[in-house]
Amino acid sequence: MSFDAETASAETVIIHVGEALDFRNADDFKATFQEHVDDGIRQFILNFSDTEVLDSTGLGSIFSLYRAISPDDGKVAFADVSEPVQVVVQLTRTYKVFRQFPSVEAAREAFTG
Amino acid sequence: MDPFTKTYTDLDRAIDEVRTLSDDWPTLHQNGTIDDETLHCACLVLHEWIANLHQHARFPHDSPRVEIRLTGTAQQVDCSVLDNSDGFNLTSYLPADDEDPEAFPERGMGLRIIKACTTELSYSSTEDGLHCFEFLIPSDHDPWLNTLF
Repeated sequence: MSFDAETASAETVIIHVGEALDFRNADDFKATFQEHVDDGIRQFILNFSDTEVLDSTGLGSIFSLYRAISPDDGKVAFADVSEPVQVVVQLTRTYKVFRQFPSVEAAREAFTG
Repeated sequence: MDPFTKTYTDLDRAIDEVRTLSDDWPTLHQNGTIDDETLHCACLVLHEWIANLHQHARFPHDSPRVEIRLTGTAQQVDCSVLDNSDGFNLTSYLPADDEDPEAFPERGMGLRIIKACTTELSYSSTEDGLHCFEFLIPSDHDPWLNTLF
């Protein structure tokens, strides 16, 4: 399953995570972001509005994205975080690294502002 | 509260259905017995455990089968997952409390998450040759991992 990625600007891509990011589709997620990293994108907004599952392997793939772009001051933002994802965010304290926004639009404005 | 029990012979289906546990166990919300956060933690632990079985366990005698059993009170969720794999020594794979993982790890967080979410956990063989993973999540538990960054 591929992920729906949307170009928000020359610098920013929105990835709609969908129902699940887990060990079964983490490689697809990595292939999706890698294509944009190779094109020079360094700002990513992850839309979690419909996400029922984010597991350890899925989170690991987000860490992989962060490691790929952080040397160039890249950023990953979490938008519209669903309750099950919020549990993982709190548990792992990833909010210390990935800013959270109530909506994709709010994340977009923060990146462009 | 009536316990929730369900058996699966397809681990992918078990993983998919665990995420909607609250729909299958409606008495949870009718009675307001278990708060959403505790339930999400239970779903996460179940997902991580069954994903672990899916990826690493050997089922040499039969096709995979798991039975999930959940009971809940206002104080805690008790859960067991019975499986027909050949099992493994969970203790030897659990990270030590003073063990520092690499920063931003791509793999190996599953058991750390399970350990952080639960206050009691065990995986042992049963008299009838199966293996049983058991865990407990108190409703006032505030789990967190401080070693990922």
